[in-house]
Amino acid sequence: MNNQLSFWQLNKAVILFAVVALTMPLWFPLINGYSGLDTKIMIFCIFLVGFDILLGFTGYLSFGHAAFFGIAAYSTGLMLKNFSDNIVPAIIVAVAVATLAAIVIGLLTLKRTGIYFSILTLAFAEMFHSMAMAMLQTWTGGENGLTGMPTPMLFDLKMQGNNVFYFTAIMAILLFYVAKRIERSPVGLMMKAIKCNQTRLEYTGINARKYKLLAFVISAMYAAVAGALMVVYEPFVGHEFLGWHQSGEVVIMSVIGGVGTLVGPMLGAGFMLYFENVLSVDLGEQWLLVLGLIFMFVVIFMPGGFMEALERIKRRFFTTVDGE
Amino acid sequence: MPILDIHQVSLSFGGLKALQNVNLKVEQGSTHALIGPNGAGKSTLLNVLTGMLKPDDGSVMFDGKPLLDVNSFDINQLGIAKVFQTPAVFPEMTVLQNVTIPVFAARDGSFRMNMLEGYAKQRPLIEFAEEQICEIGLEKHMYTLAGSLSRGDKRRLEMAICLANKPRLLLLDEPTAGMARHETEKTIELLQGMKDGITKVIVEHDMNVVFSLAEKISVLAQGQIIAEGSPDEIKGHPKVIEAYLGEAQV
Repeated sequence: MNNQLSFWQLNKAVILFAVVALTMPLWFPLINGYSGLDTKIMIFCIFLVGFDILLGFTGYLSFGHAAFFGIAAYSTGLMLKNFSDNIVPAIIVAVAVATLAAIVIGLLTLKRTGIYFSILTLAFAEMFHSMAMAMLQTWTGGENGLTGMPTPMLFDLKMQGNNVFYFTAIMAILLFYVAKRIERSPVGLMMKAIKCNQTRLEYTGINARKYKLLAFVISAMYAAVAGALMVVYEPFVGHEFLGWHQSGEVVIMSVIGGVGTLVGPMLGAGFMLYFENVLSVDLGEQWLLVLGLIFMFVVIFMPGGFMEALERIKRRFFTTVDGE
Repeated sequence: MPILDIHQVSLSFGGLKALQNVNLKVEQGSTHALIGPNGAGKSTLLNVLTGMLKPDDGSVMFDGKPLLDVNSFDINQLGIAKVFQTPAVFPEMTVLQNVTIPVFAARDGSFRMNMLEGYAKQRPLIEFAEEQICEIGLEKHMYTLAGSLSRGDKRRLEMAICLANKPRLLLLDEPTAGMARHETEKTIELLQGMKDGITKVIVEHDMNVVFSLAEKISVLAQGQIIAEGSPDEIKGHPKVIEAYLGEAQV
């Protein structure tokens, strides 16, 4: 809360993230990461940073954020297929559609708190899932998924290989910066106060419901950007984009990384995707079991996730007697 | 003209008549105590004033504006703040952040989408919050998490939160409940030392607190106002003695 914080202190996390992200194609292959997975990690960083604005700031656990991810993915796919192969209008339309859905779902679900809110969001997401599978099959391709999109273009630039990676990485850095700005703003302060003591906040003259809705919609917009970029990355939309499995994975990534820290959930996303796609090959069929054990270990011994582990290491090795 | 005018307010919970035709006028700038045996309806009345409960009947006017059917946060924005029985603060935030919230609530109203403004950079507002914290004597704890303060200090912090958006009416629900003697004394001092102009309505069981603060006392029993007057008048009032002793005999 100090005014004298320098540019470096305020933006340390964003700068470090930018360096790590932009150099990823150089170091990622050294740890057996294949090209393409780095793009997916960047996409999920966007999803997770947004999700943390809802879960980490306000404490509302949504089990249905795959809805916005999926809705945006389908919208992008349909736009690319039927309107233009330029990704800019596609992404704008996708985010707009998902935002509208988020406003409606948010208004309905935020009337409840705790587990009821989680169940309601899950129910809405499942509704969209079954709609994509049946009612809207002619548009979504149902079980087979939406295919047949042209190669996505950023105006005259073909979105393939490294182009996609750098595009998503820059989006991730920008959106992480925006999330950091929100955290430092009065809006971020009010959102965090909702998690602390909602009654006190209301009795302090703040309309908590509007701030909750704002957090919900912002996090849905992040999910939508991620969903849209998924289609740019790989021109295919499967119905599992909307599924509860997808929603649950985001929650697990957040918890493993450290809820409420913005950086933590991104670490969680990177770790999970790396684990699923690279380490699982070495571990064989037991990889899910190992992942489950890691999750349990984190929840029981480090409820603050990776960020808590880093904090402990920092304290142990970098703290002098006077606490500096 | 009274700043707060409660007129014929009734409220039942099922068959229980929690409030029956309650009339109460609170004068601008005064300290008005509400006393009465347990279950008399004192806290219920406060909850009506903050918009938490909706009465079945009657009206409440604050400074000429109706308070019924108004949201809690709008009531606060009108100038009514409440100090809870158990100190209500934001435990995972620093003391300074706790007081920064009402300061921004006073500037921005109940909702504003200023997402890209750094709140710590608003020096005049932060300095005002710091002053408020110094005034209640918590300057050493500026960056302490509110959850780790002692109960007495949490109470002080809560008062600072309430006062930071400059209310005109402060509602206090048993502000000294569960406090040690010296903490109670400190709280009385804090309330006495509060700048003039803030009207206070205080619900309290501790008669020592009531008689050292209140200018006027209303006695509630079984949802009805049974007596009203200055502390001296209330002390010897036969109905008041009956209400309290009657309860003791049960």
